[in-house]
Amino acid sequence: MTTLALIALLVLLLLLRQPLLVLLGTALVWVYATAGSDHPSFILLDGWHALNRDVLLSIPLFILSGQIMAQGAMAKRLVRFVGALTGPIPGGMAIATVLACALFAAISGSSTVTLLAVGSVMYPALLSAGYSRSFALGALCAAGTLGIIVPPSIPLILYGVMTRVSITDLFIAGIGPALVLTALLSSYAVVRNWDRRGGSWDGKEIVESLREGIWSLLMPVIILGGIYSGHFTATESAAVAVVYALIVEMLIHRELDGKRVFEVVGETTRLLGSLFPVLMLAVSLNVFLTYEEIPQQVVAWFTEQFETPEGFLLTGNLFLLLVGTVMDIGSAVLILAPMLAPVAAAQGIDAVHFGIVMIVNLEIGYLTPPFGLNLIVAMGAFKEDFGTICRAVVPFLLIMLVGLAAVTLVPAISLFLLG
Amino acid sequence: MATGQPIPPLLHRLDQAERIVTAVAFGVMVLAIFADVLAREFTGVGLHWARQAGVYANVIVVMLGLGLASSSGSHLRPRFADSWLPASWEPALVRIAESLTALFFLAFAAFGFRITASAFVLEERSVLIGVLVWPIMAAIPLAFAIAALRHAAFAFNPTWRPPEVSAIAGNEASNEGSKTE
Repeated sequence: MTTLALIALLVLLLLLRQPLLVLLGTALVWVYATAGSDHPSFILLDGWHALNRDVLLSIPLFILSGQIMAQGAMAKRLVRFVGALTGPIPGGMAIATVLACALFAAISGSSTVTLLAVGSVMYPALLSAGYSRSFALGALCAAGTLGIIVPPSIPLILYGVMTRVSITDLFIAGIGPALVLTALLSSYAVVRNWDRRGGSWDGKEIVESLREGIWSLLMPVIILGGIYSGHFTATESAAVAVVYALIVEMLIHRELDGKRVFEVVGETTRLLGSLFPVLMLAVSLNVFLTYEEIPQQVVAWFTEQFETPEGFLLTGNLFLLLVGTVMDIGSAVLILAPMLAPVAAAQGIDAVHFGIVMIVNLEIGYLTPPFGLNLIVAMGAFKEDFGTICRAVVPFLLIMLVGLAAVTLVPAISLFLLG
Repeated sequence: MATGQPIPPLLHRLDQAERIVTAVAFGVMVLAIFADVLAREFTGVGLHWARQAGVYANVIVVMLGLGLASSSGSHLRPRFADSWLPASWEPALVRIAESLTALFFLAFAAFGFRITASAFVLEERSVLIGVLVWPIMAAIPLAFAIAALRHAAFAFNPTWRPPEVSAIAGNEASNEGSKTE
């Protein structure tokens, strides 16, 4: 009865257009009141303890470095470089689109910024090179989602924070699936555009474009190289990334001045202000649920339902794909990761592997109507109607599902670099 | 309903102040962590205070960021139920929504004040660097109180509300009709 009343209250708040923060906070106050335990102010005490952890510093710092790097003409430089490399290959420009998205995502850490930045350069270029509108839209929307899984990925950090899994391990584990998805999308680009190729390799153009794009290309090398070599933790690499981004954009490319940096910091703070208070309350809810032994009960129930890890993963995938169609990835990770990760662990599934599976599932939500974020962004950016974009992404959606199946069933794709 | 009309000077000044304070705190965060890395690379010993200083700077950034999220209409909000009520109810809905949000933030400002006051009375200090924690903790009730004030103002005059934009965990963009914003 109490649970039903809470659900009714939350639905009412949803109808009254309340932010997620209010929904979560109200649920917390309700459970504190009905459980008759501590004063509701303990919600914020748990939230304070959640904020008082240095692992969280990587989130603002990676978002800031990505925002700084995305300000200038990085997309054009990356596109020029990968275009020079892939031009003579069948479907070369399409492969360049996918690779540029993957590289841009590794630097900016943002799917939608990747879609907008690379799309603004590649969409007209693909059309003028004779690629179909449908293919161009689908390729950009799908490759744009690579930002979710390519490290440094904010959803991966959130998963690590909520489940206490090493963020460094998650970043390293994200490399394999990102490569698989990039390879699948590139392969499809080749097969579908076999007749399209542009001349032969031009060594001078390759060297020139590399010289121009080298500073951007070095960013993921510094981040991942620093982490993988053990020089930096994820948090430290994020601080190094910010300083590097400032040097590159302010001193080398000179595309950013102090005023613009101030504005970028403001935009980053706005993002953080919408995310971190939700994270505080999600951690607080998690603490409460753990105290009440809810996760153990959930684990026990799920363990009864699923006899094999494969059964759990299949059901979990379907559930997460469904969630991805109606919920944004940050909220889904904050709320669901603490509940599902213990179940996965009880099924003998590696916590890092499950984190990657979860993120790839939710990544696909960026391509699924009615609320797929990349579909909506593409609609505005490329001035196409929603139906056209939805139809354009269908083949790419199927490819992403193949990638998801591979990442789910072959843990080594995620874990091979972790030994 | 029109949104994004010029806001009162008090809210504008609050916005400016939050931007300046958070920019300074962001600078402290970056410099502290980067200095720690440099110190460790060049002297072999990190700066013991750097992580905690970064964490406290982050608390300032994200809590004052709550106000900036309110002033820019960036709070994460599930939108899929937006069309479930008649469109003609829109003007009333906006005022009710903003009033409810203001009340929620006010309640959480009170909760935040309670834990901060407790830390003040107990003279709680950081284990790592020994400073009193209540001045940093005070950012929590302050941020909720300012956010309550903003949403109360939006309820009073809905034209002051900013147009809603997206602010999804590091994946930002304008997203008319998206799943959350």
